[in-house]
Amino acid sequence: MTVLGRRAPAVTGALSWLMSPKRLEGLRLQAFMVPIGVVFAVLFAIPLAQSLYFSVTDFNGYSTKVNFVGLENYRKIFTDPSMLAGLGFTLLYAIGTTVIVTVLAIPLAVLLNRRFFGRNVVRAVFFFPAIPSIAILGLVWAFILSPLGSGAINWLLDAVGGFGPVPWLSDGTLAQLSVIMVAVWSSTGWHAILYLAYLQAIPGDYYEAARVDGASARQAFFRITLPLLAPAVTVSSLLLMTGGLKVYDLPYTLTKGGPGYATFTITQSIIQSGIAQAKFGQASALAVVFMLVVGAIVALQLVLSRRLEGRLS
Amino acid sequence: MRKQRSSPILSLVMILAAAVVGVPFYYIVVNTFKTQRETSASPLAPPTSLYLDNYVRVFENTPILQSFLNTVYVTAVSIVIMLVIGSMAAYAMLLRTNLINRVAGVLLVIAFLVPGQATLIPVYRILVELQLVDSLEGLIMLYTAGSIFCYFLIQGYLRSLPISIFEAARIDGAGPWQIYWRIVLPLIRPILITVGVFQTMWIWNDFITPNVFISSPDKQTLVLQVYKAVGEYSVDWPAFMTLSVIVLIPVVIFFIVMQRHIVNGLLQGSVKG
Amino acid sequence: MSLLRRSVATLAAAAAVLAGTAGCGSGSEGGGGKTKLSFFSWENEQTMKPLIDAFEKQNPGIDIEFSTAPPVAEYISTLQTRLVSGTAADVFVIAAENKTNLVQGGFVKDLTGKPFMANMSKFNTEAWSVDGKAYGMSISSWSAGILYNKDVLAKAGVTEFPTKWDDFIALCQKLKAAGTTPYYESATGLPLSIAALVGHENARQGGGVDAQIFAGQKKFGDLWTGPLTTYNQLFTSGVMTKDVVGLKGEQIVDEFTNGRVAMIAAGPWDVPTLRQKAPDLNLVFAGVPTPDGKPFWAGAASPGWAINAKTQHEKEAEAFLTYLGSKEAVTLFNKETAAMTTTSDVTPVVDKVLEPNLQALKEGAFYLPQIAWPRVQDALNTEMVAQIQLMIQGQAKPEDVAAALDNRLKSS
Repeated sequence: MTVLGRRAPAVTGALSWLMSPKRLEGLRLQAFMVPIGVVFAVLFAIPLAQSLYFSVTDFNGYSTKVNFVGLENYRKIFTDPSMLAGLGFTLLYAIGTTVIVTVLAIPLAVLLNRRFFGRNVVRAVFFFPAIPSIAILGLVWAFILSPLGSGAINWLLDAVGGFGPVPWLSDGTLAQLSVIMVAVWSSTGWHAILYLAYLQAIPGDYYEAARVDGASARQAFFRITLPLLAPAVTVSSLLLMTGGLKVYDLPYTLTKGGPGYATFTITQSIIQSGIAQAKFGQASALAVVFMLVVGAIVALQLVLSRRLEGRLS
Repeated sequence: MRKQRSSPILSLVMILAAAVVGVPFYYIVVNTFKTQRETSASPLAPPTSLYLDNYVRVFENTPILQSFLNTVYVTAVSIVIMLVIGSMAAYAMLLRTNLINRVAGVLLVIAFLVPGQATLIPVYRILVELQLVDSLEGLIMLYTAGSIFCYFLIQGYLRSLPISIFEAARIDGAGPWQIYWRIVLPLIRPILITVGVFQTMWIWNDFITPNVFISSPDKQTLVLQVYKAVGEYSVDWPAFMTLSVIVLIPVVIFFIVMQRHIVNGLLQGSVKG
Repeated sequence: MSLLRRSVATLAAAAAVLAGTAGCGSGSEGGGGKTKLSFFSWENEQTMKPLIDAFEKQNPGIDIEFSTAPPVAEYISTLQTRLVSGTAADVFVIAAENKTNLVQGGFVKDLTGKPFMANMSKFNTEAWSVDGKAYGMSISSWSAGILYNKDVLAKAGVTEFPTKWDDFIALCQKLKAAGTTPYYESATGLPLSIAALVGHENARQGGGVDAQIFAGQKKFGDLWTGPLTTYNQLFTSGVMTKDVVGLKGEQIVDEFTNGRVAMIAAGPWDVPTLRQKAPDLNLVFAGVPTPDGKPFWAGAASPGWAINAKTQHEKEAEAFLTYLGSKEAVTLFNKETAAMTTTSDVTPVVDKVLEPNLQALKEGAFYLPQIAWPRVQDALNTEMVAQIQLMIQGQAKPEDVAAALDNRLKSS
């Protein structure tokens, strides 16, 4: 192909393409991105740039006089022992809730999509846990998970099988388990509702055809429902993963990060150093590092789930 | 689609499961009708008599109506704005996969990862510059950040729909705006409602944002009233729980009304794939 | 489609109507030429409202704009965000967690020598002073110790509450042998008895040990290892289970009101709830028993009220503080909160059960490490609580706890 010789027609071609209805339509379509661009710039990009700047200063969140300290803040966070503990539980929590909620929510959505007596009420009840403030849920769950014999679950265990009181929130491993369990309780229902919305996009004809071909309900689930839910899995697990990595309220209200550092999270560390300890620069550095880590994890997850989507459909 | 028959066994199992999930709510509601003494003695027992003092006290001491109106205003406007912004972006991203949009897609994912606490002070300063601190409009502006969440869910949903629908409309000569308004919006109704309901829950219950950005008593939202029961050394739990129930009632009603509409989406045959 | 369009239209219409009504209520200039004085509190509204109403009645030209945030983290962060942007209230609360930053950043007015400070107790004023300058007006203090049910102890044959730690452990064992759970003390935060035991050790060493630690002359272990070992006997002797690291204060109070435990660690803030939940209990407060038999308490001066250095309404702010420190307001505050007020011209009326606590305040037999530490309070507090929980679970020794505090101080 001789590029030079074809140059003139290429230019006129480009000109006519610029003026073409197709190009105009493309521009009009691009305009649909403007509002979200503004939101991104004002509420994310600009503040984040400031945080980046704070992360190399000794800004304490109070004084407006700040000094440049280079990478000192970054050095400090990598030498803090409680940070490692926080990282461990944050990862466990994020992965644990993502996997468990996904595994429970999909079958729940399929069941909630069936016809049965009391369906609307049942759907509402499953969704409820996503509603109230975490402060009040923390109170109620602390009562339910009380390590004493008078706690609701322990009382039940005793009444049913005579088990001794289980130290739900007083033992490191059990506390981690309890926090994850409460998180699963609070988000499974709403993720099921999310899947339910996606189930509505599957045309009924598909199932009709499968039934005619003699497929069982189980086969229909694995061959039709699951592959078509793949985009939903991508979205839902991304939400769970980012939400899980950013978690703060729930472990804080249930256990305040204890016992010891068993349920300490990265976000708790950011909040503590930035606000209570007036080390805003250091907290900003932590936030930046945290974002990079989360970004890497999410990128990996997206690649994996896109691949999975590709294989399924 | 074959008309399913209602299954009594499924019904029983699901109602039992829902009952287990609902226990914490039972705990909250039942204890607002008891004295502290009864609550402490037997938290799970039903009230022995109809005790309404907690509600009387809360209604006497709290400007509930003003806060309720503020909350409805902020929630309704924010939800409409974020659904519009989010769905527009999702639609453009689906049909126009050029370099700009691919970069934008990555940036939006990154925005999703920013922990709110890290940008609190910079965001507050921006609002001070815009003179929107301590105003309901400022709160609405902050909540438009939720557009990115809406965008995510909606674009995921759009990708699960057959793209041929949009292509067909394009060939028929429909412009981008027409396609968006006449085809995309009706098609994505189930996800719009799901996301709308979820974001309503978020804004309705959000405490951190109004707590930092609102200081005038007449601009407070309902949740701020709930947290007024939390004091220096102790929490007024009866008031806290009672106010929580009052705050929950409107959203529960809203959910029950809205969720009926999730169901009828494509089953009515608006799309033949 | 129609549904969507209809809902959007309805929402928009509702929003427009509401925008109108909301707009009406937001005239920020205030009616009738009144001055608006903003007040950011961390007491809840119920507590402060009677005081504000009375003040506004006496000063018809001033309108108090009250706002609140729950302590501690939410309050601190909201105040911080507003201060750095120049939009903070005229009057707000100064607490242990933000004292250093407020003073160093020049955000609070020097109140030294103001007429309204004359009434304040010396101890309370010193708690909110830096380098001899007072920045907060504090009208009350608190002290916490051990609350027991006299009837339960009498049944076990105990009429005199022990003052020596060993006797206390013996009492616990006796109760346990009789089938009663002897003692609960929440360890989700700093256990109150540790604060008391450390305070006792500090007094035994002549006081001021914290200053020496922060000056690098002593280690945390010099002050803490002994008291931590003493406290840990509760677990090594088996009278308290490690469950307490997962028990909140409210749960412990519930166990107590239902007669499932004989003694608990408690403060004055638990008394109103206890009176409501179980009016018939025969309650008695006592100081925490110590190794040498001189009971000690956990306690501190309550947070103070401070005036914003950049306030436009200095005169009004001072009028407000003058009122808050007046005989009338302190009496009202005491009545509302049952707080142990310490101003010179009011004798607080306290629940009879709190008389020992009041006595302890007069004698100065109380201590709280977070207040005694001159800086890095929060970082040390977090580390301390986590390490104590590890100790309770048998994963750390008392010396390890003290060493972790030394490390934390060094790295801050």
